[in-house]
Amino acid sequence: MADPYQPRPPFAPWDRRELPGLFDVEESARRIGAYKWAEIKLFEALGGWVATVPELDVKMRLGTHCYKHAWHAELWHKRLPELREMNPDRLTKPANDAMVRFVEALTEPEVPERTIEKLVGVYRVFIPHFVAAYTFHKNNTSEITDAPTIRSLHFILQDEMDDWREGEMLLQSLIDTPEEVDRAAAHQARLEKLMVAAGGIAGPGTIGGSAIQAGGPNGSRTHAGGVA
Amino acid sequence: MRKFFPVEELARDQRFHQITMKDRMADPRSALGTATGERQRSNRLVPSRPDASQAARALMHGIFVGEIQALEGAGRTCHDFRTQGDAARRAQDEAHGADVDDVDDAVPFALKLDMARQAWDEARHVEISVKLSDWMGSEIGEFAENTVLFQAACSTDPILRLAGVNRALEGLAIDVFTTMKEFGGLAGDPFLEFCEDWMLADEVTHVKMGSDWLRKVTEHDPDRRKKALEFQSVVDKLFSYGGTRSDSQESPIGLARRFRELAGFTDTEVEEIAEVSLAALDERKAAVARMQAAAAVEHTLATN
Repeated sequence: MADPYQPRPPFAPWDRRELPGLFDVEESARRIGAYKWAEIKLFEALGGWVATVPELDVKMRLGTHCYKHAWHAELWHKRLPELREMNPDRLTKPANDAMVRFVEALTEPEVPERTIEKLVGVYRVFIPHFVAAYTFHKNNTSEITDAPTIRSLHFILQDEMDDWREGEMLLQSLIDTPEEVDRAAAHQARLEKLMVAAGGIAGPGTIGGSAIQAGGPNGSRTHAGGVA
Repeated sequence: MRKFFPVEELARDQRFHQITMKDRMADPRSALGTATGERQRSNRLVPSRPDASQAARALMHGIFVGEIQALEGAGRTCHDFRTQGDAARRAQDEAHGADVDDVDDAVPFALKLDMARQAWDEARHVEISVKLSDWMGSEIGEFAENTVLFQAACSTDPILRLAGVNRALEGLAIDVFTTMKEFGGLAGDPFLEFCEDWMLADEVTHVKMGSDWLRKVTEHDPDRRKKALEFQSVVDKLFSYGGTRSDSQESPIGLARRFRELAGFTDTEVEEIAEVSLAALDERKAAVARMQAAAAVEHTLATN
């Protein structure tokens, strides 16, 4: 066995985590508040729809997925005070008015004949946008200073990918005719336009672009120990 | 999507047939027992009952549709009530004409998280009960669906809804699952016993959620607590209809006192439910006696 008193590097050779990140504490909290609001809206919608869908397998999946998104909201709720937001309700809000309009349009279908529209809204628009927002956050936040957020993002992204797959398979099993393909596509396009207007779940800059404001050591990325 | 959802519009596929509580009780295949003349001293659901297989299948189908409605009820509670502090939802509700100053309409975030968790649990219970029904040899739609459970989940006051659903209804589920678990044990069906025990654990959790939230939310509002407990009592009586559940051996389902205690019921509350249940059983017996007397008179008149 090696001498335990021999100096070793603080980062093992295989540990390539980096210190710089794109978000400072405030920006991270703002994004997480927007995520929490969106996850709440999603679990409310899924829960509300359970009684409105006649398909038994869809009914059970909506109930199961309802909890997963509530749990994501809970994770973000617990993270906010750790980011100096002692009143989590203050930041639990939509990124902008367009996001509110998106959720209103998402939850509009109610009658039992519109299961396809309900699932399209969740599994072809909302959840893919969650996956994008969370992936961008995970890949751009500081791997060392913001490790607790990254840990939550790992768990949540696993759920999102699983639910996305299940929802898409349910949709494929429900869409039988060219008319139903058109219905699904039309509803997806309508919601996607609203989401584009919102700029994504956390507003403009959700997945980067010119809207990202520098905040902290967030320029070019360097390996552990380096700050750009 | 509307804020509250009417029971008449619960979405089902074509296999389901919805009926009233009275209709269900009149079904001779129900767990309550066979025709009046064949009524035995003990009506408890045990394998030695001549109609045990059919009654157990009927009860399992009742559990299955009950779980669907419990899932729907928990889901609606996630949707129907505003989370405290949700300003955007408040504005939306106001735009749709709701009285946003009604403080009783907003619920704590943690309460909604509990309801979402319950929705997942109920979805699993639907999965379990549909597989158990298949295992027991019945199929979806073989028995009718009584939607009284969801009706209890239609209250517009979230605390009344919790009292009706989590304490009364899920309390009944504790009694039913305990009976079914015992039935599985007596019948030598470890599969049934195993599954019922898991569901029983979830139900105790759900009742405890209801007990905890009822106490917490109404801590400084004794009137609202009283109203909620009265509503619970009404639902308890409804679910004791015909004496289906009581301490008496004449009821197919017993009162699971120990598990109710674990779920947060006080001794006094358990005694109250026991009394209501026995009263319901006595009412049914009196009704049967009246029908028998009337039939005897008719028979006498017809033969003279």
